[in-house]
Amino acid sequence: MVRPFLDDTAQVAVPARAPIDPPAEIRPYLQTAGRVRPLGDLELEAQVVTTALGRAELLHLKFEQRDIVALCLIPNSVAEVAAKLHLHLSVARILAADIAAEGYLSIVRPDFGGRSRAETLERVIRGLEAIS
Amino acid sequence: MDSKQSPSPAVRRAPTPVKLVIAGGFGVGKTTTVGAISEITPLTTEAAMTVAGAASDQLGRTPDKTTTTVALDFGVITIDEAIKLYLFGTPGQDRFGFMWHDLTFGALGALVIVDTERIDDCYAAVDYFEQIKLPFVVGINMFDGKPKHSMQEIRWALNIGDHVPLVLFDARERLSVRDALLEVVRTARESLT
Repeated sequence: MVRPFLDDTAQVAVPARAPIDPPAEIRPYLQTAGRVRPLGDLELEAQVVTTALGRAELLHLKFEQRDIVALCLIPNSVAEVAAKLHLHLSVARILAADIAAEGYLSIVRPDFGGRSRAETLERVIRGLEAIS
Repeated sequence: MDSKQSPSPAVRRAPTPVKLVIAGGFGVGKTTTVGAISEITPLTTEAAMTVAGAASDQLGRTPDKTTTTVALDFGVITIDEAIKLYLFGTPGQDRFGFMWHDLTFGALGALVIVDTERIDDCYAAVDYFEQIKLPFVVGINMFDGKPKHSMQEIRWALNIGDHVPLVLFDARERLSVRDALLEVVRTARESLT
């Protein structure tokens, strides 16, 4: 199934630049083609970052896909993607998972980056202690 | 602020995210706490929360479920080059929905903020964290000056064991918030052993 905004045959007027303010009244299920849960829920804090492919394809992407891929040239959490692009949190999750599945985004999930929980806690303690 | 954003052509490496949960009743200072220490202005996103309706257990009826939209506030602290700490404030509601699972799943620990004028507002959070065995610290927000009850009285009212640290802090003060969060992370470390 091709989601409407991925279907190149449907030549709708694509704005030259990502819209600054997405329309507020688009129903969430229209943005996600009816899906209500992502395949495997992404954590709110999971990091979303644009891949080389996403960077290369940026200008060919549309609407929320382009907004997300452009935003995530710098890593952002799923929650930040939602807040910064004014998307409902569940919409941001689904879109991020979908775009990642297409190879334009990579996702770093909170698995302590291969470190142990204890080591992670130590580093967080040191990091907080450094705040002045 | 993100001061080290060099526009390098290479694909950026994402840091590992970790999170703490900031809980407590409505208006207790959760967003103030996050804002005092977050390096970004706290962000808000809308999230759906499914809550079970009250008093709906009539025979033959399934409990009413309502989906409400709640505002979720959060902030970020860069711990080091590889770890980013997120602070998620719980939505200011008493009831628990799926949102709470999302908020707490994988969290390092939680700070439960208490207003001594309305101690019972935080019972729900304390119960929930005890149930899911998430390490937590109770922080008494002293935005009104000294608390009107002694620490023992508060501990008694909360019915928390001696293993749960109780700290006084000021949600408006960066270093005071830092110390409260440090207590949470140290408690989480101790809970590992």
